[in-house]
Order: sequence, then C-alpha cells, then structure tokens
Amino acid sequence: MLLRCRIPLSDFELDIDASFAARVTAIFGPSGSGKTTLLDAIAGLKEITAGEIEIEGKILFSSTRRINCSPQERGVGYVPQEGALFPHLSVRQNILFGARRNDAAGQTRAATLDHVVDVLEIRSLLDRPVTQLSGGESQRVALARAILCGPQLLLLDEPLAALDIGLKEKILPYLARVRDEFRLPIIYVTHNMTEVLTLADWVLMIRRGRLIAQGVPKELFHSTTAIASMDENEIENVFRVRMVESDRAGGRSKVRTEKGLELYIPYLQKLADPIFQVRLSADDILIGTQPLEGLSAGNIIPGKVRDIESLADQAVLTVEAGETFYVRLTPAAVARLQLRQESPVFLIIKARSFRLV
Amino acid sequence: MIFSLDTWQITLFTLAVGLASTVVILPFGIALAWLFARKEWPLKSAVETVVLLPLVMPPVSTGLILLKIFGRRSPLGQWLYNRGVEIVFNWKGVLIAMAVMSFPLLVRSVRTSFSEVNPRLEQIAATLGASGLRIFFVITVPLAYKGIVAGALLAFSRALGEFGATILLAGNIPRRTQTLSLAIFNFVQTGNDTDAYTLLGITVVLAFVFVWCSEWLLRSAKKT
Repeated sequence: MLLRCRIPLSDFELDIDASFAARVTAIFGPSGSGKTTLLDAIAGLKEITAGEIEIEGKILFSSTRRINCSPQERGVGYVPQEGALFPHLSVRQNILFGARRNDAAGQTRAATLDHVVDVLEIRSLLDRPVTQLSGGESQRVALARAILCGPQLLLLDEPLAALDIGLKEKILPYLARVRDEFRLPIIYVTHNMTEVLTLADWVLMIRRGRLIAQGVPKELFHSTTAIASMDENEIENVFRVRMVESDRAGGRSKVRTEKGLELYIPYLQKLADPIFQVRLSADDILIGTQPLEGLSAGNIIPGKVRDIESLADQAVLTVEAGETFYVRLTPAAVARLQLRQESPVFLIIKARSFRLV
Repeated sequence: MIFSLDTWQITLFTLAVGLASTVVILPFGIALAWLFARKEWPLKSAVETVVLLPLVMPPVSTGLILLKIFGRRSPLGQWLYNRGVEIVFNWKGVLIAMAVMSFPLLVRSVRTSFSEVNPRLEQIAATLGASGLRIFFVITVPLAYKGIVAGALLAFSRALGEFGATILLAGNIPRRTQTLSLAIFNFVQTGNDTDAYTLLGITVVLAFVFVWCSEWLLRSAKKT
C-alpha cells in the first residue's frame, strides 16, 4: 500500500508519505492529528491537493497521472467512529445496502451474509430497527455492512472510541475475528495503544498531520520517539502471559510473561487458551527507591531505570524489571526520588491493576 | 348561497389548481433545495435571493412581471400563443401565479430538511457503492421526507390564498379563473357579505388544517 498525500486543513497541513504491506495497519496519534481526514482521503471523501494512493496494486488517486476514483469505485469498506447506520432502515437493510456491489459473486452472497452475521453474532438483530441497537451492536452492524460490500480494504475509524470500557473489551475480540476470518487488509485509526498492540501488524504514528514514526507496534512502542509522541494519550504496558496457577480463595492468579517474569493478576478461571494478554496502565505503577515491606500490593518487582523521557507536565520512565515497563510520574516525583538512568527502583503494582486484553 | 354550486365550484377549482401547482413545483423545488443544501456553485447566493424574491415582493409586482413574461406581446407569450397555449386570463395563468408565489416556501422548507440530514450518511452510502441517484432516493429523501411533505403543504396553503399575482395574470373571471380569495374580494366589493363569509369560513378551515399538519410534521421531523 502506498499512501502519499497532502491535504490542507484549517490549522495545519496533513502531509503523509508511507508505504507498507501489513494486513492490519494502525494509524495512531492524538485527537486532532488528522487521522480521520486521512481515512476520508483514502475513501475518496476528502479532496487531496497532491499525492498518490495505491491499494493492493490499484491506483485510487494520483495527482500526477490525473486519476481520482470516486468513492463508489474505490472498493473500500468504511466504518466511521459513530457507525453512521442509516436510521430509517432495519439492520438487515443496512448490512445489505452495499451488497449489490458484491453481487458479482451472485449466489455466494447469501453464504457471505450468513458468514458475516455468524462471525459478528448479529443474527438475532437482523430485523430490528437500528435505532434500538446499543453502541456495541451498532458497531458490529456497521462492520458487517462494510465487509458485505466486498471491499478490497477495510477502513476502521476508532470503532471503539464511543464505547465504554466494558463494551470495548467485548468488541475487541470481534475485530480480531474479522481480521482473521475475512483476511482483508485493514487500516485502523485509534489513539489507544492497547488496540494497536492487540490488532495491528504495523503502525503509522502521526501528529499534527505529520508521520513521525512507523514500524512494528511492539518495537515502535519501545522506542523513546514513540513515547514522546503520546503526550495526552493513555500509555499502557501489554504483556503476553501464560497462566501458572489460579487461587480462587485468594482472588488472584499467577501468570508468567514471555521473558519469565511472574506477575499476580486478578483471579481468572482457567481459560481455553492458556496464553493471553494483560495490560497495565503506566499510571497504575508506583515507584519506590527502597525495598518495601508491609504493602498490600501483590507485585513488588526490583528493576533499573533505563530511560526518563521528560515532557511538559509528566515524565515517562522506561524501567527494566524482567520486562520493560513504562511508568508515568510527575516531574516532581522524579526530582524528589532523584531518579536518573540506572537508578535501582522497585515497581509496586496491585494485582487488580492488570486487565485482560 | 351557503354551499351552493358556485361555492363548491370555486372551492374545488382553487383546490385543484393549487394542488396542480404544488405538484408542478415539487420536483423543481426539491432539486433546487438539494442544490442549495448540498452543493457550492457560482452565483448560488444570487439564485437563492431571486428564488426568495416573491416571498418579500408585493404579490402584485410579481404578477406584473409574470404578465410581462407571459402576455401575448412578449416573445414567450407570443410563442406560446402561436402554439395554442394561452396563459393570460386562463386557469394556466392561475396555476403559474400560484406556483411562482408558493415556490420559495417550498424551497426554504425542503432545504432546511435536507440540511438536517447528516451528510456523513450520504458519504458512507457512496463508499458502499451507491450512485448519486440511489443515495438521493434511498437515503436523503426518506430521511427528509417529513420536511418535504411539510414544505409541500405550506406551499399548497400559500397557493390557495394567492391573490395579487393571480388577479394580474389571470384576472378575476367567474367560473374561469376565480379562486377563493378572488371570489371573497369580489363578493365584498359587490356587498355580498353572506357569500364572502361562507368562503372566508372555508379558507380559514383549509388554512388551519394544512398549516397545522405542516407544523406537526416539522415538529416530528425534528424529534427524529
């Protein structure tokens, strides 16, 4: 995929030049950085001053070759943040709205409808008016509608942003299923690091219209450039772990990370898949400089500060403690504890601060 | 003459020509309202102003302009006359006067209802492969239909009450071009108060029903 475009916006110019071949590419950046504009440009809904957009070998836009495919011709399925379901149509009518374009497949359409409906678990909603759907249901219906139009590329614009945390955790697996079942290239806009780490193979980080970094999410998020770009965003630590033991009476489970670090997390029943991901906000880690006793926290992990990234009103520490941890503190706390590179520290983490991805 | 044959004839004639004028202006009004609501084009504000002029100009002035355009001495009037089409002092003149006078109300109302349709829905429909016409008829119009119907009712009500432009273009000829308002004027002029009040009652009832329906539709459109 080739994404090269320049678009004037009200207070800055969106200027992106990227080439990537991942199945799921996340566009990651703070609000107002031009992420939605970029998706609109790919879908043909926003005028581009100059550039070139090529998806799966098909040129959608080229200012030099004077090619500008209409949104109808681009073959993209677009799920906007608000879902944008047609309020006067039923769920079935909504998801079949674009299926006419997919009718080249003729007889196979019904099977495709069945498949999509089953994967997203929306069969019971088919004859409901869309005005009666919850936020999570609306997003799944919007996703089904976009998939059924037979796209070459799926554009997802913060599909979880309008949902509360509980719903987000329910919808995220559906997105992973869409990725795995339909094997469509996906461009996924988000400002949430967990979503990037869970779903994407490649990430483009943009800020105020500029591409500041791109790469494999896990690697990119370990670089200081990545941290510096996140400012107001939530910073999270995500670990792939294997269940070691579960203590129901104690209300906690012991897990082991890929590097062998053992962590206590809230109690979990045995999962079908013993390997899973947990996340931990960088704001939920306390730092101590002395060995501490008599604490209620389940995890007290010794480590060393590898790096301190100072931003305007916050400091993000990279701590090596059997795994790499990001910890966000106030600059005052860093000064008070006299933290610097190589300072020995103890990470204090409550078991309940970990969440399942 | 309460509900005499003449009363019925005048009422039915006014309703029929009013309805015909509304039907004639509806497609043009909807198309223009959509262009105003959704597109940017050169001279748009000038055209908008011209369309709204009959709303603020004295109706008699509009009637005079129409008479100059369609009168037999004008090129258009002459051209039509040579093809056997007479506008002046004819029911067609009534229809044109009603259409021109009610057109701005229709356009304003429909334009507002189109503006209230979320353009994001139309954009998403385009990415799903829908043509411009399909988007218009399957997304935009159904979502704006209450405003369109309300606008049509308002235009129809305005057409029923039309007086100034009609009297100049079509005259006030009984059983030929006489509408409710022209007949009321005629009866008052000739001291026939009973007939005038009968027709007044009819116009009040008709106006109340149509305006009430129009307002109800606009209110329910806003709620949804």
